[in-house]
Amino acid sequence: MEMVVVAPPAPSRLEDLKRRFFATPLQALLSLISLTIMAFIVWKLLDWAVFSAVFTTTGGPEACQAAAGACWSVIAARWRIILFGLYPFEEQWRSALACVSVVVMTVLSCIPAFWTGRRIALIWGAGTGLYYVLMKGGVLGLPYVGEEAWGGLALTLFIFVTTCLIGFPLAICLALLRRSDLPWISRTTGLIIDGVRSLPLISILFTFAVVLPFALPQWLQGDKLYRVILGSALFFSAYQAEIVRGGMQGVPAGQEEAAMALGMSYWQRIGRIVLPQAMRNALPATINQFVISFKETSLVVIVGFFEILASGNAAYGTGEWRFAYVEVYAFIAFIYFIFVFSLSRYGAYLERRMAVGER
Amino acid sequence: MVSLLRNQKVRNALLQALYVGSLAAMVLACVMIARRNLAEQGITSGFDFLFKSTGWDVNFSLLPATANDPYWWFFLIGIVNTLFLGTTGLILATIVGTIVGLARTSSNELARLLGRTYVDIFRNIPLILQVFFWYALITHLPTPRAAHEAFGMLLTSRGLYVPVPNVAGIAFAAAILGVIAAIALPLWLGRTSHLSQPFGERVGIQLTAAATALATAAIILALGRLPDLPLIDFPALQGLNLKGGMRIPPEFSALAIAIAIYGGSYIAEIVRGGFKAVGKGQMEAALSLGLSPWRVFTLVRLPLALRAMLPILANQYVWLMKATTMGIAVGFTDFFMIVALTINHSGQTLEVIGILMAGFLAINLSLAAVFNRINKAIALKGNQLRG
Amino acid sequence: MDSTLPSGPAVRIEGLDKRYGSFHALRKVNLSVERGERIVICGPSGSGKSTLIRCINRLEEHEGGRITVLGTELNDDVGNIDGIRREVGMVFQHFNLFPHMTVLENCMIAPMIVRKRPRAEAETTARRFLAKVRIPEQAMKFPGQLSGGQQQRVAIARALCMQPQIMLFDEPTSALDPEMIAEVLDVMVTLAAEGMTMICVTHEMGFARRVADRVIFMDGGEIVEEAPPEEFFTSSRNERTRQFLSQVLGH
Ligand SMILES: Nc1ncnc2c1ncn2[C@@H]1O[C@H](COP(=O)(O)OP(=O)(O)O)[C@@H](O)[C@H]1O
Ligand SMILES: [Mg+2]
Repeated sequence: MEMVVVAPPAPSRLEDLKRRFFATPLQALLSLISLTIMAFIVWKLLDWAVFSAVFTTTGGPEACQAAAGACWSVIAARWRIILFGLYPFEEQWRSALACVSVVVMTVLSCIPAFWTGRRIALIWGAGTGLYYVLMKGGVLGLPYVGEEAWGGLALTLFIFVTTCLIGFPLAICLALLRRSDLPWISRTTGLIIDGVRSLPLISILFTFAVVLPFALPQWLQGDKLYRVILGSALFFSAYQAEIVRGGMQGVPAGQEEAAMALGMSYWQRIGRIVLPQAMRNALPATINQFVISFKETSLVVIVGFFEILASGNAAYGTGEWRFAYVEVYAFIAFIYFIFVFSLSRYGAYLERRMAVGER
Repeated sequence: MVSLLRNQKVRNALLQALYVGSLAAMVLACVMIARRNLAEQGITSGFDFLFKSTGWDVNFSLLPATANDPYWWFFLIGIVNTLFLGTTGLILATIVGTIVGLARTSSNELARLLGRTYVDIFRNIPLILQVFFWYALITHLPTPRAAHEAFGMLLTSRGLYVPVPNVAGIAFAAAILGVIAAIALPLWLGRTSHLSQPFGERVGIQLTAAATALATAAIILALGRLPDLPLIDFPALQGLNLKGGMRIPPEFSALAIAIAIYGGSYIAEIVRGGFKAVGKGQMEAALSLGLSPWRVFTLVRLPLALRAMLPILANQYVWLMKATTMGIAVGFTDFFMIVALTINHSGQTLEVIGILMAGFLAINLSLAAVFNRINKAIALKGNQLRG
Repeated sequence: MDSTLPSGPAVRIEGLDKRYGSFHALRKVNLSVERGERIVICGPSGSGKSTLIRCINRLEEHEGGRITVLGTELNDDVGNIDGIRREVGMVFQHFNLFPHMTVLENCMIAPMIVRKRPRAEAETTARRFLAKVRIPEQAMKFPGQLSGGQQQRVAIARALCMQPQIMLFDEPTSALDPEMIAEVLDVMVTLAAEGMTMICVTHEMGFARRVADRVIFMDGGEIVEEAPPEEFFTSSRNERTRQFLSQVLGH
């Protein structure tokens, strides 16, 4: 917590504390209650997670189960299945490298110097391409590993990245179509967007995974993984389209008129004038949408994919580690937390920066 | 021909026809292919199957259900389950969110820190992970024989056993309505009565109304009491099984707890945003009029904050309703799970997907309608306040 | 479209009709502007001045009548519209500079992507026109870092960089503080002296006196009066014109 108390005659520590936490009886009571709750939780948590916990695998599950605290040995014993699923053991370094490439790509695209349409597209294209080559192999002397063997964190990241990669351009298209002057186009698109938004994601994933094969010709069905990614991208794009459209509404009508008066074509106006400004307006909401959709990738577990949640279930679900579910879920929660928390902090930072630095 | 294509009106018409036409063609093609594929499996399209009996059972239902009941009845059960879980989760999440949100806006640093930690942790962990966690936790509770006991409730791996009053169902429902009235009436009276009324008198009326409603509820309960049984039915161990009380299955409680905690972290932020939106000027004005801090809060801050929150809250509630579909992850028979099971068992894919869409559209639209009404009722009149 | 052919007037408007829903914004407007002619349009707010000049480059679509610009008729032909917009520059009341580009980029983008000029050539042109509007030193700044008067001069330079044959001005000084109006008007006077075809909506009557060949008064979507400045200011025949003049001239 950043607290800068600028008071000319610096009060003594005690006085300062008293003023801040015990100014009135009510304040004092509140402080005491909060302090008690905090102390209790922190102590319990520390005791469970550190002091009474077992960290080594030497004793095996039995010794671990007997301990009063957390049994982190389950992570030590099962981290590979949680992170990489059923990916072949000797090849798991590839899976790890693929995850790193996705993380690097995400970090790079958070840097303002890369915020032009072309650079972002390049970064994401290259990152995803690298991921795909690493995971799938079959080239450069890497043994082939089919999608059905992908799993764990690596699969979660893949689904997230491809969802965004397909969903984002789709969102822009949908937003442009909905904004169109042609009434039939804008109304039909509006119907699609609102329809998708009114449905829960799970029902869309289920439809794409299970129902769509009935309704598509054989040659169009593709792998179940890619169908699910398509469904998730459609869902993402319906929400993101409204965010982009909101951003476009924030661009004054005069901007497009000026571009028209200069003789620019529709695509030049959109690409050079409207979208760059609209995306800047929509940036905080966009990051928020990324955060939400990262969390929502976890739903593919329901249509039977071995992503991190499912691999976590498997990590404790079989055999001797049945009791250690809390530790496994805590580990997965921690991984999600790192990704989601840093992304949402970054979003909040951008929002603040934009609110202050409005040119 | 070329000059025709350069004509803007012709171009526009062509573009629109092409777009709508190709979309329609795609949908049509999908439907045709699906119908052919289904026909090959001997499934005829149509809604006749709704009146056939299902042949399978649901694990949770507020309405009577057997495997002989027809599909339409099961869909109804699913919707009622969804609404029940949704409403429960929504109420719990609102309570959690209000408490945490108030902590986050409090003037006490420690309370703020506590609230912020809560939000930061639970907002950033996917809901389904939280559902899995609570489900695992509950199903790993001891067996009924070694049940934990707390406040007359029994916590077991087979579910949560809570004491219930031994009264007829109708009387119980009426009594619940009475309790709701006891909470809602004073609020409603407080809204419509005029500030010019003396404060004491106003509170008096509100208290009387609440007391009357509560007393009515109590009388209804007493009248509806089942003969020859103790007033409250406590769950207890009998042999190897638990008798008495009401069982709340682990699926339901895991979902309700997860939605309450996760949704609470979102609602806390909405509550905080609402309070932040109330201008300092208005509060200072109220304080300078000599109103006590408590009355500033109830008369100025809270009503204004509520108005700012409501539209966002409405969206959040719709989201929470849709989140009930996670029931399928732990096997709670919500509307979506019934849909999935029906597709599996009956094969009437297209019709059931249609029902699914219609169901969620109806849920969304009715929630939106309710909130629009509330919003209109409490909106500030006129638009001249903010220049 | 070969726009260098010097035949006929720069703009010819015949029987122009424009409606917004049931509201009749322009009624049977006729106007012909010769090449090199400077026209000032004035009239009370809501009289249809903006609508009229926005019809000339198709920012508004007209329902009735004919508009011919540089010998090309504005109709539903997409090619005609694009061609005309290239040859007609426009300056707006609120500048409408692109805030995400530097001043220089604002001036270069249209020549580069519309006229397909090479970057180096576009930059030379842009710098030349920025010098002409007397702000060459601001080239690398963003619009948000300039004063209103400077922004409007950039907007003029941006339009000139397309090397249009006709310039439209829609109240270019109405959004400016009084001390900045002069710097923008100066640029417009220079432009007029160089023989640019100009159609200006403005209430700057001093400017009208100095440079206009004709002053047009509009009211209720109609051209009420049309005369050379001397005649317009001294002996207008129409009652509405006289009333308007007494208001803007402050008598
Ligand atoms: N997009 C529009 N929709 C409806 N009415 C409009 C629109 N644009 C202008 N108008 C109306 O047309 C009339 C003329 O507008 P305008 O040409 O902008 O007037 P001026 O520029 O002379 O002040 C005004 O009454 C205005 O309200
Ligand atoms: Mg105007």
